[in-house]
Amino acid sequence: MEIIVAGPGCPRCITTENNVKKACEELGLEAKITHLTDVKLFPQLGIIFTPAVVINGQVVVSGKVPTVEELKEILSKFAK
Amino acid sequence: MIKELLMAGFLALEDYIAKHVITCLIPAFLLAGAMVTFIDKTLIIKYLGSEANRLRSFSLASISSFLLAACSCTVIPVASGLYYTGASIGVAFIILWVAPAANILALIYTGAILGTKMVLSRIVSALLMAFIVGLVMVLIFERRPKESLLKAEAGEKSIIPKKYLILIILILLSLLSPNYLVRSGPYWHKVLVWAFFTFIMVIYAFTNIPKEKINDWLRETWWFIRLIFPLLLLGVFIVGIIGKILPEEWIKTWLGGKSLSASFFATLIGAVSYFATMTEAPFVDTLMKLGMGKGPALALLLTGPGISLPNWLAIAKVFGVKKTLAYIPTVIILGTLVGWFFGNFIF
Repeated sequence: MEIIVAGPGCPRCITTENNVKKACEELGLEAKITHLTDVKLFPQLGIIFTPAVVINGQVVVSGKVPTVEELKEILSKFAK
Repeated sequence: MIKELLMAGFLALEDYIAKHVITCLIPAFLLAGAMVTFIDKTLIIKYLGSEANRLRSFSLASISSFLLAACSCTVIPVASGLYYTGASIGVAFIILWVAPAANILALIYTGAILGTKMVLSRIVSALLMAFIVGLVMVLIFERRPKESLLKAEAGEKSIIPKKYLILIILILLSLLSPNYLVRSGPYWHKVLVWAFFTFIMVIYAFTNIPKEKINDWLRETWWFIRLIFPLLLLGVFIVGIIGKILPEEWIKTWLGGKSLSASFFATLIGAVSYFATMTEAPFVDTLMKLGMGKGPALALLLTGPGISLPNWLAIAKVFGVKKTLAYIPTVIILGTLVGWFFGNFIF
């Protein structure tokens, strides 16, 4: 699974990245997590509001910090 | 000497924070959190991206900037996202300017500290400057209208459902009524009015809003508090110390009165230095007590949070050096003129 956390490097985005890592850990998922900070690339991914989480090319969270619980729910859908 | 300075800092903290936390800051943060949670920003941006008419898209951009989140860290990606998905360069720079220069948190706090007239002037001049900035950017960089990639489909859901709108209005009431209804009397009068409206708001929230959404709302509010409150405390503390160190004569000579040069210096100070959102209000208040003119004060209120050196660099990185070189001087010239105009003809 490929997960991209996108944000300009603000505290909210860092929390988002940590939550993603935690969610993966708790689910025991193997995922490649990248933190993208180049805002010029965001529109190509379909992101307008940050922080955003993109899983396998699909924007699943945008404009808010997702909780670990929310992420686990989303991630388990993709893991199937 | 150091002890005296620290004391000045703490006194300023006590004065500003004690008088504003309950009746101003808490409802303001609740409001900001509610706007982030309940307003469908994606839809606003879609409308903005697909609106071809310049006058309409400029107005829409200015107004929605009041509603978009307050921190500059959100604004740059939003503006660049709009631009790279096809919105006009004018729209992108209007958002880049208005959101920090006149966002709702900063406006409310300005009103509480500096009064209604100053806050109205701040709104009017920020909007005026936004239109000119947008126009300048379009004239230099965009002769032909662009084809947008974003399309708003007709009949899409509304930007904000009614029950959330009512909640936002109730929060606004709990915020505005203590500060604007109670003009004199001891501070606890304000607290009483605040408590009354907050009580109604809380009852409404718990009976009408799903629990999940309330959690989202409180979580966003907590984010604003965590991000802005420490900066605000630090800002006020530093302002207290600066007020003690700066000789009054300097302020009176360089920033006093309503001359063009005083406005220019105020704009320049604001344009270079970084003010976390809301800290500009106590700073300007302190300088005004030391003799800064009202016009220059307005100029500083606008450019202080609106632009700063780190923000020049960020804009240059995202939009390119040329656009930054057009944007920054435009803002500095406009800020100077606005300060001068308001100082001479309005205040």
